[in-house]
Amino acid sequence: MYADYAYLIVALPVLAFLLCLFVGWHLPRGGGFLTVLATFAGLILSLGIFSEIYPNEIIHQSMPWFANFNVGILIDPLALVMLLMVTFVVTLIHTYANGYMNGDPGAARYFAEAALFTASMLGLIYADNLLQLFIFWELVGLCSYLLIGFWYRKPSAAAAAKKAFLTTRVGDVLFLAGIILLYNNLASLNLTLAPGEYLLQFPVIYAHVAQIPADQLTLIALGLLGGAVGKSGQFPLHVWLPDAMEGPTTVSAMIHAATMVTAGVYLVARMFPLFYAAPYGLTAVAAVGAFTALFAATMGLTAFDIKRVLAFSTVSQLGFMMAGLGVGAAVGTFAVGVSIFHLIGHSFFKALLFLGAGSVIHAVNTNDMREMGGVGKYMKWTMYTMLIGSLSLAGFPLFTGFFSKDEIIVIAYEYGVMINFLPYIMLVLAAVLTAIYTFRMWFSVFTGKERSDYGKHESPMIMIGPLVILAVFAFGFGFAAQEDFYSYLDSNFEHYDVDFAQLGIIGGHVLEGHAAPEGAALEEEQGAPEVAESGHGAAGEGEEGGEGEAGEPWYIQILPIIVAIGGILLAGLFYFDKIKKFDPSQVTGDKDPIRKLLLKGYYQHEILTGWFAETVVYGTALICNMIDIKLVDGWLNWLSAWVLGFAQHIRKVQTGVVQNYVTALVLGVVVLVVVITLAMEVGLV
Amino acid sequence: MIPLELYILLASTMFTIGLYGLFTQKNGVKLMMCIELLLNSANINLVAFSAYQPNVNGQVFALFSIALAAAEAGVGFAILIALYRLYGTIDLDNINAMRW
Repeated sequence: MYADYAYLIVALPVLAFLLCLFVGWHLPRGGGFLTVLATFAGLILSLGIFSEIYPNEIIHQSMPWFANFNVGILIDPLALVMLLMVTFVVTLIHTYANGYMNGDPGAARYFAEAALFTASMLGLIYADNLLQLFIFWELVGLCSYLLIGFWYRKPSAAAAAKKAFLTTRVGDVLFLAGIILLYNNLASLNLTLAPGEYLLQFPVIYAHVAQIPADQLTLIALGLLGGAVGKSGQFPLHVWLPDAMEGPTTVSAMIHAATMVTAGVYLVARMFPLFYAAPYGLTAVAAVGAFTALFAATMGLTAFDIKRVLAFSTVSQLGFMMAGLGVGAAVGTFAVGVSIFHLIGHSFFKALLFLGAGSVIHAVNTNDMREMGGVGKYMKWTMYTMLIGSLSLAGFPLFTGFFSKDEIIVIAYEYGVMINFLPYIMLVLAAVLTAIYTFRMWFSVFTGKERSDYGKHESPMIMIGPLVILAVFAFGFGFAAQEDFYSYLDSNFEHYDVDFAQLGIIGGHVLEGHAAPEGAALEEEQGAPEVAESGHGAAGEGEEGGEGEAGEPWYIQILPIIVAIGGILLAGLFYFDKIKKFDPSQVTGDKDPIRKLLLKGYYQHEILTGWFAETVVYGTALICNMIDIKLVDGWLNWLSAWVLGFAQHIRKVQTGVVQNYVTALVLGVVVLVVVITLAMEVGLV
Repeated sequence: MIPLELYILLASTMFTIGLYGLFTQKNGVKLMMCIELLLNSANINLVAFSAYQPNVNGQVFALFSIALAAAEAGVGFAILIALYRLYGTIDLDNINAMRW
């Protein structure tokens, strides 16, 4: 019954968007309650659908659109968990925004754009074909531009919005190229499709991926990865994400932590069979993800702006998710479950952290952590909810982040055993840094002396409420849901006609347990010596069936715990006044080249904006401009000048004297008569 | 019966007079009259040929031509009156604001 109303999940926020846009300023708080209600209705519907189809049904509705395309709704386990997460987190964020944006003159515009954003994100999630997904993908990009530039009178906000839009555009062009390539390849297969089936529908793609040539698959996968890299802020297109903190904090929480940036990860998960079949597809994903995770974490260490710390942390955690998908080359579809689990858990604790930071900023009125300190005395609720979020992000045992992040590290180890250890090493280092920068932030904001005279009050209950709810999930979700989650997500591709064994052969991966003879031998050689402890602790491992049974030594299981606690302690030694042993300024002075490098963000701004944009891009633009003016405009202008000059000469014919016209007329008739007569004489006519 | 040649002679004489007028005159009204001469010389030819080759088509055509000439005269004189009001003259040599 709920499934029949699935379209309302998108339709209601669109309605809220229109209402807020046109009549929002007549309503209290800019009509924010409409946006909350619309999203909440989406949550109820999603829960209803969940109760109907869990655990082994999917919903697929579709209708023709034009030519070879359709519009449709596809709710499988992957889409369903995303729907639940987005509607739930965004409902809380919208509720919080009702307090946060109270009194802003643009509140109606904010809630309109936020509602449109919600609609596009939800539409992206349950689109049943790639074209529809792309349309919503672009809408999400548009909303992100509008919301980052929400305070558009501020030059830095306007610049950040432009940067976000242009940077993601680079990825989107690659994404579109990937879609076109995929369509061409599928079209050239001359498939006979059943009525109601269309080329770009996911089930059709899944079913026919194996028939596409391998080199084409790699190209397509790289195109799609380009789109995901842009949207999910992966290296090298991550530069827009830290700047995007110019928007209101609720925007940061909603778009740049919990939902929009996960779209890229979602895309890779959605197209997992294609990536799996493409040689080097998943390897590229793993490389990009692991490198980004480490790279962004190092920059998070030195940032002073509390929101920038969280932004770098988001980039880093998205890197974890990407890497988690990428190591699917070793463990198969199990990676989708692990990665999406981290995505969901991350959206809980990152939304919590952003909203907590917003609460602090709301009271303290600055983003700069050097001016905070001791805030915890005045904001107990914010302090403890953020502590939960930080512990979860750092991967402290039993918190959500522990279950999800550690599982990624463990499967990265399996990837290491089978293919390459580099991602694993990077991820472990990134995990250490995550714990350090998270607690550097928490200690220096909430503990210690007050370093400036700031506003001392707790935020209103409408803002605290969502924090508490999110804190509950940031703590308990991983513990409560991990096993069911993995098995549910692992079943995702069982609903489709897709043969991973065959795809693996195309892609050059060999899964343990699959009947590929040379792979089995390979596994014997590599896997056997590593099996020290088969009864390891990670709960999800038992669900894998034939996959990923290599097992990890006990220290691999323990390592993430040591890493998390060690990182927290290390941060405490530097920043927590009760156990403080070192002064950060003594360890690294302002002159320290490494610190400077990190603080400057690896001189990315200098390289990308200073050198790349202003020299290479600007120079190219100048050359193009010259060609445009001299060549393209040039010949056209020359032609029109010639026509004008010629006309200047022959316009004199128009004398305005009637007799001249009559003369010309008569002469013309005479000439005509003579010519025709002569022609008749000669016999031509 | 009057021979056909005479009609043709009459028509061509009228046509030549009209054409001569168009070449030499500068007064707008005179030009209009010359044009009427041209049109009516053609009408004479139409009627004459129609009578000598038993067929009424030419005469019907002449009627159309007369109606057309009337309309043309109406429009032409209206323009001349407007020109006179604007410039105080109908000497067409002086009315050349739209040349070039």
